[in-house]
Amino acid sequence: MSLSLSTLWRIARRDLSARIRGLRLLAVCLFLGVATLAAIGSLTASITEELSRRGQTILGGDIEIGIAQREASDAELKAFAAEGTVSETVRLRAMAIGPEGSDSILAELKAIDGTYPLYGKLVLQGGAIAKAPKDGEIYIGQTLADRFNLATGGSVRFGEAAFKVAGVIAEEPDRLGEGFTLGPVALVSLDALEDTKLIQPGSMFESKYRIKLPASADPEAVAKSLEQQFPSAGWDITDRSNGAPGTRRFIERMGQFLTLVGLASLVIAGIGVGNGVGSYLESKRAGIATLKVTGADSGIIFRIYMLQIFAVACAAIAVGLAVGSVMPMAIGWVAGDILPVAPGFSLHPVPLIVSAIYGLLIAFAFALPPLARARTVPAAGLYRSVVEGSSRIDRRTAIWVSASIAAIVALAVATAREPVFSLGFIGAAFALLLLLAAIAWVMRAIALRLPRPKAPLPRLALANLHRPGSHTQALVIALGLGLTLFVTLAAIQTSINNEIQNSVPERAPSFFALDIPRERTAEFSAMVRKEAPEAEINLIPSLRGTIVEFGGQRVDQLDELPEGAWVLNGDRGLTYSPQVPKGSEVIAGEWWPADYKGPALVSLDIRVAESLAVGVGDSLTISVLGVEIPTKIASLREVKWENFGLNYALVFSPGTFDAAPHSMVATLTVPAKAERALAKSIPPAFPSSSLIQVGEVVSQVTVLLQQMAQAIAAAASIAIFAGIAVLVGAIAAARQSRIYDSVIMKLLGATRRQILGAQALEYAILAVVLGLVALALGLGAGWYVIVQIFDFTFAPDPATLAWTLIGGAGLTFILGMLGSLPILAARPSEALRSL
Amino acid sequence: MSAALSDAPDMAIRASNVTLTLGASDAQVSILRGVDLEVPYGVSVALLGPSGSGKSSLMAVLAGLERASGGTVQVDGLNFTELDEDALARARRGRIGIVLQAFHLLPTMTALENVAVPMELAGIADPFVRAAKELEAVGLGHRLTHYPSQLSGGEQQRVAIARAMAAAPKIIFADEPTGNLDGSTGSSIIDLLFERRAALGATLLIITHDPALAARCDRVIAMQDGLVVESVA
Repeated sequence: MSLSLSTLWRIARRDLSARIRGLRLLAVCLFLGVATLAAIGSLTASITEELSRRGQTILGGDIEIGIAQREASDAELKAFAAEGTVSETVRLRAMAIGPEGSDSILAELKAIDGTYPLYGKLVLQGGAIAKAPKDGEIYIGQTLADRFNLATGGSVRFGEAAFKVAGVIAEEPDRLGEGFTLGPVALVSLDALEDTKLIQPGSMFESKYRIKLPASADPEAVAKSLEQQFPSAGWDITDRSNGAPGTRRFIERMGQFLTLVGLASLVIAGIGVGNGVGSYLESKRAGIATLKVTGADSGIIFRIYMLQIFAVACAAIAVGLAVGSVMPMAIGWVAGDILPVAPGFSLHPVPLIVSAIYGLLIAFAFALPPLARARTVPAAGLYRSVVEGSSRIDRRTAIWVSASIAAIVALAVATAREPVFSLGFIGAAFALLLLLAAIAWVMRAIALRLPRPKAPLPRLALANLHRPGSHTQALVIALGLGLTLFVTLAAIQTSINNEIQNSVPERAPSFFALDIPRERTAEFSAMVRKEAPEAEINLIPSLRGTIVEFGGQRVDQLDELPEGAWVLNGDRGLTYSPQVPKGSEVIAGEWWPADYKGPALVSLDIRVAESLAVGVGDSLTISVLGVEIPTKIASLREVKWENFGLNYALVFSPGTFDAAPHSMVATLTVPAKAERALAKSIPPAFPSSSLIQVGEVVSQVTVLLQQMAQAIAAAASIAIFAGIAVLVGAIAAARQSRIYDSVIMKLLGATRRQILGAQALEYAILAVVLGLVALALGLGAGWYVIVQIFDFTFAPDPATLAWTLIGGAGLTFILGMLGSLPILAARPSEALRSL
Repeated sequence: MSAALSDAPDMAIRASNVTLTLGASDAQVSILRGVDLEVPYGVSVALLGPSGSGKSSLMAVLAGLERASGGTVQVDGLNFTELDEDALARARRGRIGIVLQAFHLLPTMTALENVAVPMELAGIADPFVRAAKELEAVGLGHRLTHYPSQLSGGEQQRVAIARAMAAAPKIIFADEPTGNLDGSTGSSIIDLLFERRAALGATLLIITHDPALAARCDRVIAMQDGLVVESVA
């Protein structure tokens, strides 16, 4: 029998309007999952779009050319000026010294020229729009003003120059483009920078040249042509389309990870969809049977109910998309300054479409099996009780379900920045699903085989776990997945916190000192020892340079950088050493003799060598201050990056950089009581050097990690909500059979307290088992991430884990009990009439 | 016709001017409109009447499954109108056995467990031994470990009878116990019910449409429109 779509829809709508409440669980689950994905996608798109929209301002021009440790040559400047208006800035880390040398703090000193900023406005507090300060004047950031208790008119010293504070910066237009900073910013003019005498040969500083192009110019083409003119200049060139590449990369990666967490939530929601549709069709058995009796074949039945489910799913998805699309604004309002830019309100079709497709695919994959069961059971069979129902699905349905799951995986991988990671995450989630399904099966089997309790109520509680039609399987999978996700995140977060809080003070030095003049190293050491005789000082040379060739391959001729070859991005820190550096171990080739004087050699970090596909004996050319130095790879090292020492991926043989002016860097490990004295005495004596207090950096990193953890926990909490929706749905679905049991028990003399006790026992068993399962699986997953991926010590905080578990399992129990209250209220005589 | 209340102390059931009104205030339905009834211990009573006459509701009130809206109900000396739902549940333990038309067994429990439950709740010793004996008595000694879904309708009703009788209650209520069964199975069930009642010496109040069954009882009460209209000994 073939019916038109409109006829089918008419029947479906009539039937749906009468019992639409039956599909509430489907709607709630899909809404939660889709809204989460849409919110994450929209927020990521909002931020990256805002970064692109404000690309010129963030970058400070249409093109930015960054040059390490030198200013542009005349030829370079001429080439820049030929393209448009040029603005020059020089940025370096320097110690700001407070009034009368009272205190010092590491700051980001930025010298600007008269054309700065090319885009956007430099705004001072009070609203004044400023250009470069006059000689002898300085604009300072709020943190610096607070630290030294400075206001306009106060004074601060950098290097050998004292400055009068001419204003406190309210808005630095290119702040975001400058990337991660270790201290507050201070702005001076380029001429004033010379007075500080901070720029010495070998000093660590970066010159930036921003170019404002004519409106018709293509920034990408201009950047390419400039690079072609100066192929060996070692520039770091960026155009306005990617003003803050680090921030963008971080946001995109974070968005990708949160999307996967959201997808896990949607899978849990999918279980709710399956349950919801199953219960709904269960309640429709009589109606379906009647339709069949009146001539509807199984195909018609399938289409009618598929139309209903599709209609409700579309409505839930639409509401989810609507809520998800306005969430970025709400998140922006709540998160405030944590986000790099405030997300504006604009619709982002791609994440919304992707979220909608995920929602539809999940709805289809999970609704299909119960639909197929309703369609394949004969009319007479539909009248039979659920106890006798078959749980098998036909081959065609199995193929469709598999195809939907494959489409979900394909979509996740296709939209991923890092497909391999996404595939790994999905694979792990799938394995976890299978494992939970197996645990649920074992749990039911154990409940069935356990000696039957003597008392009838515990017997009833145990029977409810394994009875035909029980929702144990769905609850174990949905709540188990949600709780496992939560325990995993808690284990990862607390392990990282512990790593930072416990390991850093043990291993990390007290200070990093940068830009120590080579000729004053003895003086520097003596000064440190004067304040702290037992100080451990590790002084090594430091330069910056760019790899221009490796294994015979010129970097500027590569179409794309090899995967993981971060070392080729711009300039990198370099050093030379007669001995194997601390924290490194040679694992291939041989280290040069301490008195080596031959051609330049280099020792590479093994992972860098792997990413470049080079080995011992291959060539590598490094450009330092514009001079190319060819070297040969002599050895490969395993570097323990986490030891907080001075670790370099590239270590050269002594003599390689004799011709290049350079300074030294040092780690200082001193007793805590000497830290304050050193922080006070060294900066005035070594004005061009920077002293970084490790404790301050650690607290900055800790705050950043905590914010990331909060964002992930917020996304993961949707998984718990979805799990709760599944629980509530399961309780609702089982209500009829529970009312039946409860009424019969009352009939036989059981009190409400006894019946509630049986329910409590059932949910307590479930909560305890799920808690233990989540603990085991979550700790396993957390251990893998912490030990195998981060290479940290696995040290989760037991209290946080316990509270996470107690919270999750407790919620499961309480909701189960709350769901049981209406069952208790059933009056025996009334219930018996309808049973 | 309403039966006059006597002061006799040996009444298993005494109902006086019992009313039952169901539904919300704007759509209230009077189910029982002032029922007076006295049933002595050890007597079997058939409750006859057309559908909607209030038979099942009266039985629900007398068995403590429903609280009367008005009047007083005394069962085995207990004033049911003063008890709350849980107290009524406790009052049924070991005192009242109920057999329903649709059997109403617990699907997750075996026949033996179903029969043992009321005795366990009443704290009666050796509930499983007694349950097994009772099932033997109703001819289901070989079906102890079977679940309701593995039993026929007649067998399920035998289990329900065993469950009602096992705790040796003083009063047995049966609401059309053969309504879901075929004729021959039904009559064997009735035989069994009367046989077990006689063995216990319990009071039986049975709802039926079958005049032949009613004739087997000591007394027949007819109901119409929520009132007892005839009581024939």
